[in-house]
Amino acid sequence: MKKRKITPSQWTLLGLSLITILVLAAVLFRGAGGEKIKAGAAPPPSEAPAEPAAARPTKTINLLFPSEEDSLLHPEPREILAGPSIGEEAKQAVQELIRGSGKGYISPLPPETKLRQLFVTKEGVAYVDLSREVMDKHPSGSSAELATVYSIVNTLAVNFKPIKKVFILVEGSEKETLGGHLNLSEPFVPLPSLNAR
Amino acid sequence: MRGPNKTSAKHPACFCLLFLSLISLAAAQPTLKVSAEDHDDYSRVVLTFPSSFPYALEKDGPLLLVRVSATSSFRLKAEPVKSRFIKSFSWAKSNDLYIVIIETRNERFRPESFEIAKKRQLVIDFYELAEPPPNEAAPAETPRPPADEEKREEPPPAPGGAAPLVEGSAAAARGIRTIVIDPGHGGLEVGARGKFGTLEKDVTLAIALKLKALVEKNLAFNVVLTRDRDLDVSLENRAAMANNHRAELFISIHANSSLRRNANGSETFFLSLNATDEEARRLAYLENNSAELEKPLAPENEGDIQMILWDLAQAAYLKQSQRLAEIIQDELNVLLNTKDRGIKQAPFKVLTGVACPAVLVESAFISNPEEERSLVREAFQENVAQAIYRGLVRYIKLLP
Repeated sequence: MKKRKITPSQWTLLGLSLITILVLAAVLFRGAGGEKIKAGAAPPPSEAPAEPAAARPTKTINLLFPSEEDSLLHPEPREILAGPSIGEEAKQAVQELIRGSGKGYISPLPPETKLRQLFVTKEGVAYVDLSREVMDKHPSGSSAELATVYSIVNTLAVNFKPIKKVFILVEGSEKETLGGHLNLSEPFVPLPSLNAR
Repeated sequence: MRGPNKTSAKHPACFCLLFLSLISLAAAQPTLKVSAEDHDDYSRVVLTFPSSFPYALEKDGPLLLVRVSATSSFRLKAEPVKSRFIKSFSWAKSNDLYIVIIETRNERFRPESFEIAKKRQLVIDFYELAEPPPNEAAPAETPRPPADEEKREEPPPAPGGAAPLVEGSAAAARGIRTIVIDPGHGGLEVGARGKFGTLEKDVTLAIALKLKALVEKNLAFNVVLTRDRDLDVSLENRAAMANNHRAELFISIHANSSLRRNANGSETFFLSLNATDEEARRLAYLENNSAELEKPLAPENEGDIQMILWDLAQAAYLKQSQRLAEIIQDELNVLLNTKDRGIKQAPFKVLTGVACPAVLVESAFISNPEEERSLVREAFQENVAQAIYRGLVRYIKLLP
């Protein structure tokens, strides 16, 4: 029986290929890993909308806030990240409304409110799902409910042409009213008469 | 790797899936089918139920109402009516109650019903009764004895039927006219709250009781309060009370609250529709033909549009409601010494299903400390009641 012997040159070849594989693997692995880390660390759009270095372009929308002066809704320009969809932009618009005005207008939603979800259907109905605080911390009253509902509805309609109606959900489900007045069990159409000229 | 981004990215997909499945569920919604056919001496209506629901029959003039208590929702599919006696089918919905309305061409009929359990069918045969003698057909000339009148108004319970649910219909038939006054909120649902602790529900009840007293003392109207004490009443039930009593007017009384500290004044609301242009046009058609509410729609329009009639019963009364709002606001301006905020439109839940002229009065702002002090004062409450009362008197003069 002849035992197969590995020559020194074969040893060298084997060693070289092993090293190559290891190096390649290391480079690939790190590359992939690095990308993942980068994706994970990307700031959520609403947290850093003003960051100029962001890869996505920004756009300016008009948020509509109630004011102390009259019962109308007043525009306040705000920069958001553009795209990738109307739903993503509308999400930022509602989050910015919750964050409140930088010009001293009234906050239309309780600041504890979270936007749980927002999506826009093909038919142009925006479903805005808010956390329970929008009801629990709401002062009730017709005027207060008008301000809360239509700051959302009119802001979305004014800035996003495809949005024709807005259905406000709370904790994922349909509610009758926020505090006993306006009907939440069907989608709202915008009331442009509430917008200041 | 489970970064927070990954999970949040997953959500829209889940949401969309859930939504899609909801849509497909809605598409496969169970259906209640209604059809009519003529036989030699009767006309037969067959209702095929999607599953077995309790029901009750009630005869009301030329109508036969089939009240179905359904725990799940369903659609109504009516076949075009070609019958010598059955005129049309329509339907209405309120909470878990569906009402299939069978309109006949003559109120003198006897319904006989039986069930075919295997097919989940309810069969109702309509037998026409002989025409009354001519003097009975013209009641204005020869008053009938009261016993006879009683008999005509309260038809014997239909076979298999439960007690009629429309409590106010007998009163309406006797020509007694009803106004429904709705004190906003109640019970655990306190409404808005003033800085000094005043609750909207207490103010609205106090004003409503004063208004009731004024109307009952001075007008030949029956007044129904949606609540006469501190009680939870759902918004849909408030509207249903108006419809069940065949109310001619519906007045909801509220005290306002704003996010603005200084907001003040009085305003009167009537309903605005959450309808896009196309739907609004369709509803405007209904409004201009509000007689359509009295007689159910032609069978070719069955389905969707009739749902709107009940879900949005108020759509047919917007013009009258606007007039009522204008008149009441006028009187508030004269009597209250508050800022005139005018009349406005908004989609108030409580007004949506009311099938008569309906307004919501925001007497003053409970969120404004000065007006909160007014709202608890007996004299101010009396003035609000007086102003609404004067508005009602002016409006009633416009009624036929």
